[in-house]
Amino acid sequence: MFGGIYMKLAWRNVLRNKRRTFIAGIAIGVGLAALISMDALIIGMEKNMIKSATGSFMGEGQIHREDFRKAFEVERTIADLEQVVAGLEQEPLVENFTLRTLAFGMISSPANVSSVSMVGVDPSTEPYLSEIDDVMVEGSYFDGEGDISRQILIGAKLAELLEVGLGDRVVMTVAQAETGDLAQEMFRISGIYYFKSLELDQGMAFVRLDKAQQMLGLEGRVHQIALKFHDSNVGRDGDHPFWSMYSQNGNEALSWTRLMPTLESVLDLSQWATLILGVILFAVVALGIINTLFMSLYERMFEFGVLRAVGTRPVALGRLILFEAGALALIAICMGMALGFIITYLLSTFGIDYSGIEYAGVTFRKLLYPVMQPRQFIEFPIYVFLFTVLVGLYPATYAARLTPARAMRKSF
Amino acid sequence: MDKTDNNVIVTEGVTKIYDENGVPVKAVNEVDLTIGYGEFTAIVGPSGSGKTTFLNIISGLDSVTSGMVWLGGKELSRMSGRELSDYRRDSIGFIFQAYNLIPVLTVEENIEYIMLLQGRPKEERRERVREILERVGLSGYADRVPPKLSGGQQQRVAVARAMVARPKLVLADEPTANLDSKTGAELLDMMRELNQSTGMTFVFSTHDQMIMQRATRLVTLKDGRIFSDETKTGG
Repeated sequence: MFGGIYMKLAWRNVLRNKRRTFIAGIAIGVGLAALISMDALIIGMEKNMIKSATGSFMGEGQIHREDFRKAFEVERTIADLEQVVAGLEQEPLVENFTLRTLAFGMISSPANVSSVSMVGVDPSTEPYLSEIDDVMVEGSYFDGEGDISRQILIGAKLAELLEVGLGDRVVMTVAQAETGDLAQEMFRISGIYYFKSLELDQGMAFVRLDKAQQMLGLEGRVHQIALKFHDSNVGRDGDHPFWSMYSQNGNEALSWTRLMPTLESVLDLSQWATLILGVILFAVVALGIINTLFMSLYERMFEFGVLRAVGTRPVALGRLILFEAGALALIAICMGMALGFIITYLLSTFGIDYSGIEYAGVTFRKLLYPVMQPRQFIEFPIYVFLFTVLVGLYPATYAARLTPARAMRKSF
Repeated sequence: MDKTDNNVIVTEGVTKIYDENGVPVKAVNEVDLTIGYGEFTAIVGPSGSGKTTFLNIISGLDSVTSGMVWLGGKELSRMSGRELSDYRRDSIGFIFQAYNLIPVLTVEENIEYIMLLQGRPKEERRERVREILERVGLSGYADRVPPKLSGGQQQRVAVARAMVARPKLVLADEPTANLDSKTGAELLDMMRELNQSTGMTFVFSTHDQMIMQRATRLVTLKDGRIFSDETKTGG
């Protein structure tokens, strides 16, 4: 019944020294705001990294012949291709897929020579899986005039290395399947792209799929099917039944988490980093709370002595301090949520420019937009409240153990 | 009948030794004292004579090194911390030198606080607060907070808080020290009137001549011992 008087007392005591409460509230609130913003940033970074990794070229998953990825042997093409393609066309999980050939080769210009991975792509389906059509800086994506079979797209870095420009001729040399005979073709540069990724901008050259098959002696066969799903979680779940369903007859179907395990590890690591940073933030906040409560406690020592003298039980005094901690937490949470919302809203509206920076094998290509979620404004404030009250146990216990005579030693 | 049953306070051989930087200091030394119900007693003596320590001991705010204290027939050393809290709540009213009201509570809330601890119903609390405010001359001040009152008014509220739960004993530490002589005299007259009309026991710790003049009994402490114990006739 008289819990109400302690709540009233707690609120009024917390508001008694407004400046101190404001400063303490800001200190705790900044911690909460940092937690909200950091979580939003991590989610945004994860999404950006996954999108950069899967959206640029890789796709959310791939199907290959088993062991193809070990040495990229030209003859290790996907088994039962027609059956696999027919299955994928019927597959409700799959939004899009595209067929590719991949082969190491040599590209030469009158000025220079470089080893590249020659990628044969289907110009009609490739844009659904990669962003190559979006990153053309010169020329166009497989739709120019002239002999379209001899069109080749190269990266800006490779063009710089070969000292070639749009319309210049280059010669591509690859080894054919089974025989290993060298096949050589002249191509005219119809487009130059810039992914902001060294691997893609210098190490790849894109030609039409039928031309690549002809050069490699594959005739209707491909090395890779890149996949995109309606639900991105399928690509994130390496154990989804989809992967085992298409890992048959010597083929292997792998999610991007298996194709790029380092990225998955980095994302896991970022979760731990969030946790560790959270713990550090909470530790700093804890010291702030303890300091504030103790300052307030020492300042009112005589008052506590009076409360004890007139018959307030030790537990009730401890409870008063806990209520004060709770009241302080509520004020701090309001400040922190407002601050967290403003910071996250601004960052998620204007974005953070990390483009061109490579991390864990992934090059950020677009602005990083933190992702605000309702969870951040429910879970974290609850944690802060519980944590503040928990930390308040220390000064509460101290207050409860106060002997009235000690607290009131300046009086009788 | 046992003297502990007939008197509000009985002490026997009460001694309190403090440790001050490793040096034992005897603040109260073998004090035997009996205070009966309804007395208006002043404990006087110079600074350092042990008045404060003795009042701490008889109110259960501090423990004894040796000796025994009975308050209302109950021996304090046998009580747990919680029992002592409850006993102080129900049996003792405190008036402090610096008023020591809770500044964030209104006059009404300050006065009813002890009754809240006692779990008394709201109606009874309201009625008693109204009555006591009338008696101390502060009707109409119920919703004010202490910082908005004068020193004399605050001390009247402190008296009201001490008496509202109708304790057996009211302990007052230099209650007039921060008041001008006119206000102090008015307050003392009011307490004397309450003492006579309700039969509550008042024990003061003081240097104030006004209190000494009005007290019916003067107990003088010197170096922790009772130096004199004088009961005024007709008091």
